[in-house]
Amino acid sequence: MTNSVPEIRDCDLMFVIGSNTTEAHPVIAMEMKRALHRGARLFVADPRAIWLTQMAEQHLQHRPGTDVWLINALAHVIVAEGLYDKAYVEQYTENFEEFSALVADYSPERSEAITGVPAEQIRQLARAYATTKKAAIFYTLGITEHTHGTDNVFALANLVAITGHLGVRSAGLNPLRGQNNVQGAGDVGAHPDNLPGVQKVADAGARARFEAEWGAAIPTERGLNLNEIMHGIEDGSIRGLFVMGEDIVVSEPNAARLERGLNELEFVVVQEIFPSETARFAHVVLPAACFAEKDGTFTNTDRRVQRVRRAVPPPGQARPDWEILADLARACGYPMPAYATPADIWAEMARQSPKLAGISHERLDRDGGLLWPCPSPEHGGTPTLHVGAPMRGKVLLHAVAYRPPVEPTSAEYPLVLSTGRVLYHYNAGNQTRRDRGPNMKFSSNFVEMSRRDAKDLGVADGELVRVVSRRGQVEVPVLVSPRVRHGLVWMPMHNFATATRTNLLTIDKGDPITGTAEYKVCAVRVERLGA
Amino acid sequence: MQSKSAQREGILQQLAEQGGATALAVAQVARQSGVPEADVWGAGTFYGLLRRDPKKTLVCNGLSCKLHGADALHHQLAGQGVATEFVACLGLCDVAPAAVGPELLPLPASDQPAHVLPSDPNLPIDLGGPRDRSYRGLGAALKLGPEAVLRELQASGLQGRGGAGFAAHIKWRSVRSQPSPTRYVVCNADEGEPGTFKDREVIRRQPDKLLEGLAIAAHVVESTQIYIYLRGEFERERRILQDAIDQALLGPLAGLEVHIVRGQGAYICGEETALLESLEGRRGMPRLKPPFPTERGFRNQPTLIHNVETLACVPDIVLRGGTRFASLGRREPGAKLYCISGHVARPGVYELPLGVTLDELVAHAGGYIGTPLAFSPGGASSGFLPMGERSRPLDFASLSQVGSMLGSAGAVVLNDSVDLPLAVHWQLSFFEHESCGQCAPCRLGSRWMRQALDRYLASGDPAELSDVRDVAWEMLEGSICGLGQVAALPLTSALQHFPHHFGHRPVTQELHHG
Amino acid sequence: MADTLTIHIDGQALTAQPGESVLQVAKRNHIAIPTLCHDERLDAAGCCRACLVEIDGQRRLQPSCNWPVSQDLRVSTRSPRIERHRATLLGLYVADHRLDQDGLPVHTTQGNELRTWAETTDFKRLLAIDSPRHPRGVDANPYVAYDPDLCILCARCTRYCDEIEAVSAIQLAWRGAETSIATAGGRGLLDTTCELCGGCVDVCPTGAMHAKQAPRFEKPGAVQKVRSTCNFCGVGCQLDLNVQDGKIIQVTAPPPGETVNDGNLCVKGRFAYGFVHHEDRLRQPQIRGADGELHDATWDEALHYAAKGLLGVRDRHGPNALGFVSSSRCTNEENYLVQKLARAVFQTNNVHQCAAT
Repeated sequence: MTNSVPEIRDCDLMFVIGSNTTEAHPVIAMEMKRALHRGARLFVADPRAIWLTQMAEQHLQHRPGTDVWLINALAHVIVAEGLYDKAYVEQYTENFEEFSALVADYSPERSEAITGVPAEQIRQLARAYATTKKAAIFYTLGITEHTHGTDNVFALANLVAITGHLGVRSAGLNPLRGQNNVQGAGDVGAHPDNLPGVQKVADAGARARFEAEWGAAIPTERGLNLNEIMHGIEDGSIRGLFVMGEDIVVSEPNAARLERGLNELEFVVVQEIFPSETARFAHVVLPAACFAEKDGTFTNTDRRVQRVRRAVPPPGQARPDWEILADLARACGYPMPAYATPADIWAEMARQSPKLAGISHERLDRDGGLLWPCPSPEHGGTPTLHVGAPMRGKVLLHAVAYRPPVEPTSAEYPLVLSTGRVLYHYNAGNQTRRDRGPNMKFSSNFVEMSRRDAKDLGVADGELVRVVSRRGQVEVPVLVSPRVRHGLVWMPMHNFATATRTNLLTIDKGDPITGTAEYKVCAVRVERLGA
Repeated sequence: MQSKSAQREGILQQLAEQGGATALAVAQVARQSGVPEADVWGAGTFYGLLRRDPKKTLVCNGLSCKLHGADALHHQLAGQGVATEFVACLGLCDVAPAAVGPELLPLPASDQPAHVLPSDPNLPIDLGGPRDRSYRGLGAALKLGPEAVLRELQASGLQGRGGAGFAAHIKWRSVRSQPSPTRYVVCNADEGEPGTFKDREVIRRQPDKLLEGLAIAAHVVESTQIYIYLRGEFERERRILQDAIDQALLGPLAGLEVHIVRGQGAYICGEETALLESLEGRRGMPRLKPPFPTERGFRNQPTLIHNVETLACVPDIVLRGGTRFASLGRREPGAKLYCISGHVARPGVYELPLGVTLDELVAHAGGYIGTPLAFSPGGASSGFLPMGERSRPLDFASLSQVGSMLGSAGAVVLNDSVDLPLAVHWQLSFFEHESCGQCAPCRLGSRWMRQALDRYLASGDPAELSDVRDVAWEMLEGSICGLGQVAALPLTSALQHFPHHFGHRPVTQELHHG
Repeated sequence: MADTLTIHIDGQALTAQPGESVLQVAKRNHIAIPTLCHDERLDAAGCCRACLVEIDGQRRLQPSCNWPVSQDLRVSTRSPRIERHRATLLGLYVADHRLDQDGLPVHTTQGNELRTWAETTDFKRLLAIDSPRHPRGVDANPYVAYDPDLCILCARCTRYCDEIEAVSAIQLAWRGAETSIATAGGRGLLDTTCELCGGCVDVCPTGAMHAKQAPRFEKPGAVQKVRSTCNFCGVGCQLDLNVQDGKIIQVTAPPPGETVNDGNLCVKGRFAYGFVHHEDRLRQPQIRGADGELHDATWDEALHYAAKGLLGVRDRHGPNALGFVSSSRCTNEENYLVQKLARAVFQTNNVHQCAAT
C-alpha cells in the first residue's frame, strides 16, 4: 500500500476493484465502513455482487478478466475530459504521450461492449475519482491473479499518477495483501529476484554485502518463482523440494498435475504445524510451532513491521521454524550463527538492508509497529509513500493494451470459473477447518451459480453437481445466488476435503512477470449428476 | 448500516399494515425496504400500537379514566367476552372511562362530542364556531410577505402550545436563516399527555385552521414539504384531516406537499426530536441538543416543528394582527385551549384567556364534582397541586413558580374520594411505561420511583420514600429530555403539597400495573 | 485546518482543535471524566449520562462527549452538583446490576467499567431495580452470548455493529425498562447478518456481551495477556492472546487508538484460535520408511535425514534442481533463514513463497 490503513477512515472516495474486502480483509473493510459512515463515496468494480456493492454508489460489474478495458476506459475519460492533474503529470510522470495515445482507443462505449459496464457508469466514476482529493484505490487478487495481473496493476497505477493521487493522505494505490506476512516474506528475500531488504539479486553491491555477511557466494542468475518451481516439479527439472508452511497441493492451481509431479520427486521436506495435504508427499516432516508459540515479526499490507510473541509452548516436540531452519543448515554443514532469539536474525538482515536498518525488535517492543522505509533508529517510519514527489523521481506511465484471459470459454467449457475467499475460512483451511464457528457457516465446498444458469442446467439450490475443467473435476453442491451473473460460476479456494479442492480445476498459467497464476478465470462446465 | 437504496421512512407504517412488529412482518418489511432487519425489529418493538394484539379492544389507563372507573369498564367488557388490554392513554379524558375498538375508533360510550365554548368569532380558533375553510389568513400572509408575518408573529408573543412555551417567531426566524435550501415544516399532532385532548378537537372541528397555519409557516420559512405526525390512536381525526388536506390541495395549498404520518403509540414521540426519529422510521429516542431541529431536523435539514394549537393560532394572528392576539391573554399573550377533566361536571376544551385560574376554568366546565382535593394543571408531567393554588393563573410563568408547569394545559381535578398515593402510582406507572429507555436517569429512575412508591403502598412505611428526593433530583438533572426530567414530579409534588397523605398507612392489597 | 482554540476546563486553559469534543480535550489532558457509553470509534451517544459537565451559559448539565469545543468555552468537571449527579446516577446503575458479595457490580474476565467506577466513587445506595430486560432466546452460535443482567444499555455494541462492522445484526429493542439488545425476532446470531466479529463483546463495558468460549468470571491477574500479531490475513491486526495455564483462553483486541486495527478484529482473528491447541497438531518429527508410511523420529535423525536428502539432490542434479517454498505465514526471520538456506547453503535462488494468494 502506498498509504497506511488508518488513513482509510478519512477517505472521501474509495474505488475498490477486485477485492471482496469485507470477507478477505474484514478489518480494513471496517475502516472503509467508517469512511462510508462519514459520508465517503464508494465505487466497486467486481464481477460479483458483494456486500460492498450494496453500499456502493455504483457497482461496475465487469466481466472477469476485462479489467484493463475498464481501467483504460477510466483513464480515457480522465484524459479526454481534461480532468487529469496537468502539473503533476508534467513534473512527475513520463511517457504520458504514449499512454494517452493508447487510452484514446479505449472509449467508454467500446469498453461497455467488452466489459459489460455501462459507459455512463465509467464516466461517473472517472469524473468523481479525478475530482476528489482524498480518493484511494484498493485492490486485491481480483487484479493480480491473472495472466495480465501486472498489466492490471500498471493500468491502476496510471490512474493514480495522472490524477496526482500519489503522496496524498487517504489516497494512493493500495494492494491489500492476502496473508499475514506475504509482504514481509518478500521483503526479507523469499523471492527469486530479491535479496533481503528489497534489494535485487542483480545488485552486485547488495550481493557482496550478503556474501560477506554469510561467508558464501550467491548465485547471480535469477531463480524460479513459485509458479515456475511448480512447473519444474511437473516437468521433472525440479528433483528436490523444501516446503515450509504452505499447503501447495491445496493452494496451487492444477493440483492434480502438481500431485503427479510431486510423486516423482526424489526428496521432499515439509515443515508444518498440521499433517497437511502436501505432507502426504513428504520424506521428512518437521513439526513446527505456530504463531502463538514463537517470537519474530510479520510485515503487514501497509509495510508495517510488528512483533509476534510467544504466548504458549508448542505441542510435543514441535519447535519454532527459525530454530529448525538454523539446525537444518548446520546439519548441512553450514556454520549458521548461534541466534539466541529471532531478534538476532532480524539484526543480521537489517544491518545489510538500508530500508529496514532503523527497525529492531527492541524498538518494536518499545514503539509498536514501524512502517518501512525506516533507514535509521531515529527515523519514525513512512506511513505514506511518495509524499512530496515519487520516490523514483518520476512515475513511468505504462501503455498497457488489453490481453484476454488465457483460457476462453468454449462450447465444451461454456462457463467462466472464478475463485476467492469466504469470510469464515482462511486460505488452505488447515486452521479454520478445525474450528467450530467457520464450519457452522461453511463446512463444504460449493459452486455459486446464477439462477439462470442453474435453471438452464435443471439443478436446484443445494443439489450436488460436477464441475469439470480441462484439468480436473469435483463434485460439490450448487449455491444458487444473485451474486453472480449468467455465465460466471464462483468457488471458494479453501480446502474442505481433498477430493473437492477447487484448485483441481484452476489453470496454472501465470503472469509473465510475477508468475501469479490466473486463479480468477478458467473455463469449466457444470454437469448434473446422473445426467 | 443500511444499503444505499434502503427506504427507512415507511417501515413503521408498513409494519402497522402487516399487523404489527411480528417476526414475520419484520422480515418482510426489512426485505422490501432494504433496512437491516434488526433495525426494523428494534423500531417496531418500540411502539405500543405495533406490539398490541390487533384483535383487542383498548381500555385507557390514564388518570382521568382511572378516576372514572377504567377498572370497572375493563371488568365489564371482559364480562361481555370482549378481548381487552389496558393502554397508557387514549386521549379521550373527557369521555372517561374510555375505550377504543381494534380499529382504533371509540366505543359508543366513549363517542360523544366534547364540550367546548359556544361560538365566539373573537376567539382565534373558535372550536364552537362553524368550520372555517376560508384560508383568508393564508391569503393575507402571501400579500404581507414573510417579514411582515414574522413581525406580527413576534408582536403576538405566541408561545409554543405543546408544552415548552418557546417563542414561536424565534424558531421561524432560525429556520428561515439556515443556509440549506431544503427545509421542512412538521406539525406535532402526537398529542399524548394524559389529560390533554385539545389538538384532537382542533382537528375534529377546525382542521383547516391547522392547515392554514402550516401553509403560512411553509411560506415564511420557504418550505414546500409539510409532515403532520398524528397520534396513531386518532383514527377518526386522521380521516377528517386527510379529507381537509385533499380538498385544500386542490385550492389554497396547491404546490405544497402535505403528508400525514401516523404515530404508532409512543408518548415520547410528542418530544420533537423523538418525533423526528420516528418520522425517519426509527425508535422514538430523543436526540441530543444542540443541534436543534431548526438547524438540523428532519432528514438532517432545517425543520420548523410546532404543535397543532400553535399553528392553528397563526391565521388569526396574520388576519387580525399580533397585538390583538396578544391582548387576549392576561399576564401572558394570547388565548389558550384549556382541557379539563377528572372530577368536574363537563369535561371539555375551553378557549380562554391565557392565565385563567382553575376555578374559572372549572366554572366553564360546570363546576367541581365532590370536594376537590388536588389538581394537575398541565397533564401528568405537571405533578399535583393543592387546592390552595386554585386561584393561581394557569400560565407558563405562574405555574413554574410553584415547580409545576402549564405544559399542554390538560388540567385534571381529583376530589377527596381519591387515594392520592394511588393516583401518584398511576402517573408513575405511566412514565415508567413511556420512558424510551435511552438514558439511564429516566429509564432506571422512573422504574425505581414507581417501585419505591409501591413498596410504600405495600408496607405502609413512609421510610420507603426516603431516597425519592435524590433520585428525582437526578432524573431532573441527568435525563436527556423533558420526560425524564419531570417523570418524578407526580410523587415529589404530592410529597411536598400533601405530606399528610404519605404517613404510615394500612397495607394496600392490590395495584393495577396496566 | 482552522486555527486551534483555547478552552478552559476547571480553570485550566487548554488548546483544542475545531471539531473536538470537550471530553476529547479533557482526556488528552488527563482530566478524569467518567464515561460508559463512549468509544472513540463511535459517534457520541450521550446516553449513559456519566460524562455530564457544567458548561458556562448552559442551564442544564451537558454531555462532554457531545459538546463541541468553541473559543473560550468554560467547562467545569468538578462541583457539588456534578458530584451529586455522579453519585446518584452510579447508584441507579448499581441498583440495576448483578452485584457481588461486597455489593459491587460483579467483576468479569473482560473487566467491568461499572465496577471500576463504583470502586473509586462514593455512590448512593438504592434498593434493587431489577429491570425486565428481554434475554436472547436459544442461540447456537459458538462465540457470542448476551447476559441481560449485566447490560447497562450503553448501546456501544449496537452502534459498533452499525457504524464499524456495519452488519446491523443487533439493535436496541423494546422500550423503557424492558429495553434490551436484540436480534430480529430474537433469533440466534447464526441466522442473522452477524459476521461474528465479536466487536460487541469487545466494546461491552460490563461483560454483558461475552465470549462463549472463555471463562466469564476470572479474577484480575489470573489471565496473562500477550500482545502479538494476527496470523491470518495481511491487515496485521494486533491482538492480545489471553493465556491461562499454558493455553489461550481467548483473544482480545488492544484498546482503540493504539494499533493498526484500532481495536477491531474479525471472526478469525478473535475466535478461530482453536487450531493452536488442536489435537491434529504435529508433535513429533517423522521420516517416511520403506513401507511408505511416516514414522516418528528424533529431531537429530530427522534433521540429518533431511539434510542428506537435499544435499543428495544437489549433488546429483545441481543446485537448481532444488526448490525452496517459503511461507507467507511464517515470520520475517524465518523467511530470511529459508532464503539464506537456499542461497548460502545450497547456492540457488529458487526460493519463493505464495506471493499472490
